Amino acid sequence: MKKVVSYLLVLLAGLLLLGVNTAAFAQDTQLTLWIYDDGRLEVLTELGAQFEAEYGVPVVVEVVDLSEIRNAMTLGAASGEGPDMIIIPHDNLGPFVENGAAMPIDLGDSAENYLPSAIDGFTYDGQLYGVPLAVENIGFFRNVDLVPEAPATWAEVEEIGMELLDEGSIDSVIGFPDLTYNIYPVYTSYGGYIFGRDEAGNFTPDDIGMNNEGMVAGLAWVQHLIEEGAVSANIDWEASHVQFETGRSAFIMTGPWAINRFDTAGVPYAISAFPAAEEGGEPGYPFLGVQGLVINANKENAILAQVFAVDFLATEEHYQAIFDAEPRPSAWASIFESATDPNTAGFNAAGINAQPMPSIPAMGFVWDAWVNAGSLVAQGELDPQEALDSAVEQILAQVNG
Amino acid sequence: MNKIAIVIPTRSYLINLAIVGAILIGAMWLITSLFAQGLVPLGSALSAITVFIALIYLRRKFTPLRWLGIGLALAMLFTLYPLFYTLYISVTNMGSGHLMAKQQAINRLESELYLPESGATYSWTAFQSADGASYVLWLIDADGTGYLARPGSPLEAVTPGTGIVGAADENNIPLTLEGYERLPLNRTVPIITQLSAIDFGEAPNTVRVSSLREAAALQPKYRYDAAQDAIIDQETGEIYRPVEGTFTSESGEELPIGYIDYIGARHFQNFLGNEGFREPLLAMLMWNITFAFCSVFFSFCVGLIVTILFENLPGKRVIRALLIIPWPIPVLISILIWRSMLNPDLGFVAPILESIFGSSPDWFSNVGWTRLAVVMVNVWLSYPYFYVITAGAIRSIPGEIYDAALVDGASGWGKFYHVTLPLLLRIMMPLLIASFTFNFNNFNVIYIFNFGLPPMPNTIVPMGYSDILISFVYRLAFVTSNVTNYGLAAAITVLLFLLVAGLVIIQLRFTKALKETA
Repeated sequence: MKKVVSYLLVLLAGLLLLGVNTAAFAQDTQLTLWIYDDGRLEVLTELGAQFEAEYGVPVVVEVVDLSEIRNAMTLGAASGEGPDMIIIPHDNLGPFVENGAAMPIDLGDSAENYLPSAIDGFTYDGQLYGVPLAVENIGFFRNVDLVPEAPATWAEVEEIGMELLDEGSIDSVIGFPDLTYNIYPVYTSYGGYIFGRDEAGNFTPDDIGMNNEGMVAGLAWVQHLIEEGAVSANIDWEASHVQFETGRSAFIMTGPWAINRFDTAGVPYAISAFPAAEEGGEPGYPFLGVQGLVINANKENAILAQVFAVDFLATEEHYQAIFDAEPRPSAWASIFESATDPNTAGFNAAGINAQPMPSIPAMGFVWDAWVNAGSLVAQGELDPQEALDSAVEQILAQVNG
Repeated sequence: MNKIAIVIPTRSYLINLAIVGAILIGAMWLITSLFAQGLVPLGSALSAITVFIALIYLRRKFTPLRWLGIGLALAMLFTLYPLFYTLYISVTNMGSGHLMAKQQAINRLESELYLPESGATYSWTAFQSADGASYVLWLIDADGTGYLARPGSPLEAVTPGTGIVGAADENNIPLTLEGYERLPLNRTVPIITQLSAIDFGEAPNTVRVSSLREAAALQPKYRYDAAQDAIIDQETGEIYRPVEGTFTSESGEELPIGYIDYIGARHFQNFLGNEGFREPLLAMLMWNITFAFCSVFFSFCVGLIVTILFENLPGKRVIRALLIIPWPIPVLISILIWRSMLNPDLGFVAPILESIFGSSPDWFSNVGWTRLAVVMVNVWLSYPYFYVITAGAIRSIPGEIYDAALVDGASGWGKFYHVTLPLLLRIMMPLLIASFTFNFNNFNVIYIFNFGLPPMPNTIVPMGYSDILISFVYRLAFVTSNVTNYGLAAAITVLLFLLVAGLVIIQLRFTKALKETA
C-alpha cells in the first residue's frame, strides 16, 4: 500500500513537472481557426490545406459554439489560450476590441473590393478589425398565392391580411418570429433606431433611440395587431414559421436561414423590400449582419494569421469558392452583385439601406431588455411608451454599471 | 495497521523525503511562476496545499492523515478553492475590460507598437545565414532605395551589385547575399513569427516586420514606470495612473486593457442597497421557495397515490414500468416536449382545452399559468422517483401493525392516516428535505421551459416572474449580454450560497429534531 502511494506521488510530481514544461517547449507552428457554424467548415478546411501546401503551415478549422469563442477570446486572453483566428458575426466585435483581443487589420488597397457596409460593420472606433466574409439581412416574405403584389405600407399589410383572416383562409396576418431583430424594419420605417452615431461615425450609447417616437409607433402597430386578433399574443419563433409554411399566415419577416424550410414545405413565396410607414415614405430597413475573420491579438502567431487572412484568403477566387460552398451574400462586392437568383435579389432589395448592427458593448444589454419590452406590451401589461422607457432605463443602468 | 505506520525504517523515511522534496521543488516552481504572472489567488491556494502535503508526509505526528492526504488536497483544490475564489471575485471589478492580473495587463500594453511620425515603412525580403541562426532583411523604402538591415547595426543604403550584395532582380531585390541565402515566400511565411520578434537596425531606430508586405520603424507605445506606478504613452507623453484597475490619464482618458482590482463591497451595495433590486428579488425568493415546496409536495403526493392505487392491481408490473418512463428520459427532452405540447398556437393541448372550456390559458406569458406549468412539468419529472421510493418504503411497514389497527377497528382511511402516512413520512423525511434543497436550485426546469419569463415590468435589470435565483444569476452573468460582469455575478452567487447554506442548516436542525422525537 505504501509503495503504491509512493509511486503515485512520483507520478504526480512527474505530471506536475511535465505540465509546466510542455508549455516551455516550442510547438510546431500551426494556425487554428474557430468558426461558429458548420456551413463553411468543408471549404475552409480545403483552403487551409491549400495554405499548408503553399507555405507548410497547417491550418486547423474547428466548429466551436459562439459563446465558447467569446470566452476563449476574453477570459482566455490572460493565459494566451484560444484560437489564432475566429469567424464571428460582427456584433460580437466590441468586447473583443475593448479587451485588446482583436488585432487591427490593414487591407490596403484591396479594401475597395468589399462592400462598404461590410467594412463598416467590422470598423470600430475608426479602425478595421476583421476581414469581412459575408453579409446577411432579413427580408419581407409574402405568400404569393394569397398576396400576388407586394404591399407598400404597413397599413396595406394589415388591410390585405385582415381580409384574408375574415375569409378564414389564414390564422395570422403576419408572422413575428420575435419583437426585436426580425421586426426591426417596422420600427425603422417609423424612424426608430437603437443607437445613433457620433460625429466620427461610431455608434454611441449617448444617443439611444430605443424609446423615441418611431420605436413607440412601431411597437404600437404591433400591439394594435395583437388587440385586433390579427397575430397571436404568444410571440414564438417556431409558431410564426410553421404558420407561414403551412399557408396559415400571409406574411413573415425572417432571414435566409428560413429559405430551406420554406422550400421543403413547398409554400409559394417571394421576398421583397419592406413596406413603409405611410404612402411614399421610406421603406423600413433591417439590421445588416456581417460575418468576418478576426485575428486573436493575444496569440504569438498573430502576424502569421494575418498572412493567412489578408494575403492568402482574401482573393476573389477564394471568396467565390466560399460563396459556392454556402450561398450567403458575399462581402466581396463583385460576387455580391453577380448573384442572380430571385431570393438573393429579394434579400438585397430588402437590405439596400441596411445598417450594420451596432457592435459596441452596450448593444449586449439591449437584447434582453428589448425582448422584455415586447413581451410586456404583447401581454398588455404596459403600453409601448412605458415598456420602451423601462427598457432604456435597464440598458442605461447596466451601461453605467 | 497502526503499528506499521508508526515504525518507519530510516531508509523509507529518506525515500519519503526525496519524493516529497521533489514534489515541493516542482510545486514551488509552479507557485512562483503563478505569482510572477500575478495569479495570486491560485498561487496562495496551491501554497497552502503544498504546506499541508509537506506537513503530513514529513511530520510523524500527522501519519494517520496520510491515507487521506491526496483526497484532502484535491478537496481543497476543487471545493474550497472555488468557494474562496468566488468570494474573492465578488469584491473585485472582474469583468469585460478587467480580465487580467495587473502584471499581465502591463505586459500586454507594453507589447503594443506604434509608428512614429518620422518612422519609415518598407517592403522587405528575408535572407538567412548559412548556419540558419541569423537573419538579414533587405528593405526597400517608398522611394525605391534598398537597405541592408542587420540586428544591432544601423541600416546601410546599398546599391545591389556592390560589396557582398549581389545583383538585383526586377524588383530591386538582390538575388544573392554573401554568406546568406535569400528565402522564398514559402520559407519566409512559416518563420514570420520569429522574424517579427527581431529588431533590425540599431536602437532606437529599429525596424520590425509588421506584416508580410511591410516592415516599419515601430516603437513600443507604452512603458510601465514602476517608480510612479504609471503607464507612460511614448508617443504623446501622457501619463496613465491606475484607478480601480484602469490606467487613466489626468483628463480622464482610459487605456483599453485594465486589470482585476479590489473594489470592496460595492457589488453587494449596488445589489442590496438598491430598492429596485431588493423588492423584485424578495418576490423572486418567495416564488423560489414556493416552487421548491410545491414541486416536492405534489411529486410526493402523486408518487404516493400511484403507489396505493397500483398496489393490488393485476398486471401491476407492466403499469409500473410505464409509470417509471418519465424517469429515464433525459430531462431536457421531457421539458422541450412539454414546451411544444403547451404551445398556444401549435401544441395539441390548446385545441383540447378550447373545445372543453372555450378558452385556453397562456402557458408562457401569463404569470400564474407559467408558474403552474413549471410546477406541473417538474412534478411530471420527479414523481416516478417518489413512486419508486414510497413503493419500497410502504412494503417495509410491518404487517402486524395493520393487523393491530384492524383489531382496533380502523377503516381503510384510518389505516392509511394513522399507520401508513406517519411511518412513511418518518422514512421519507430526509429524502423530502434533500429534494427541497435540490429543487431550490433546479435550474433546468425553469430555464429550459421558459427562460424564467414572462418578464417583470419596470425592473432595473431584466428579471422574470418564473425566474428562480439561480436562473436569474445565470442570465445576468452569461446571457443578458456579451459584456460579462463576473464581479456582480459572483457577489450574487455568494448571497445565494449563504441563503442555501442557511436553508440547509435549518433542515439539519429539523432532521435532528425529528430523530430525537423518534
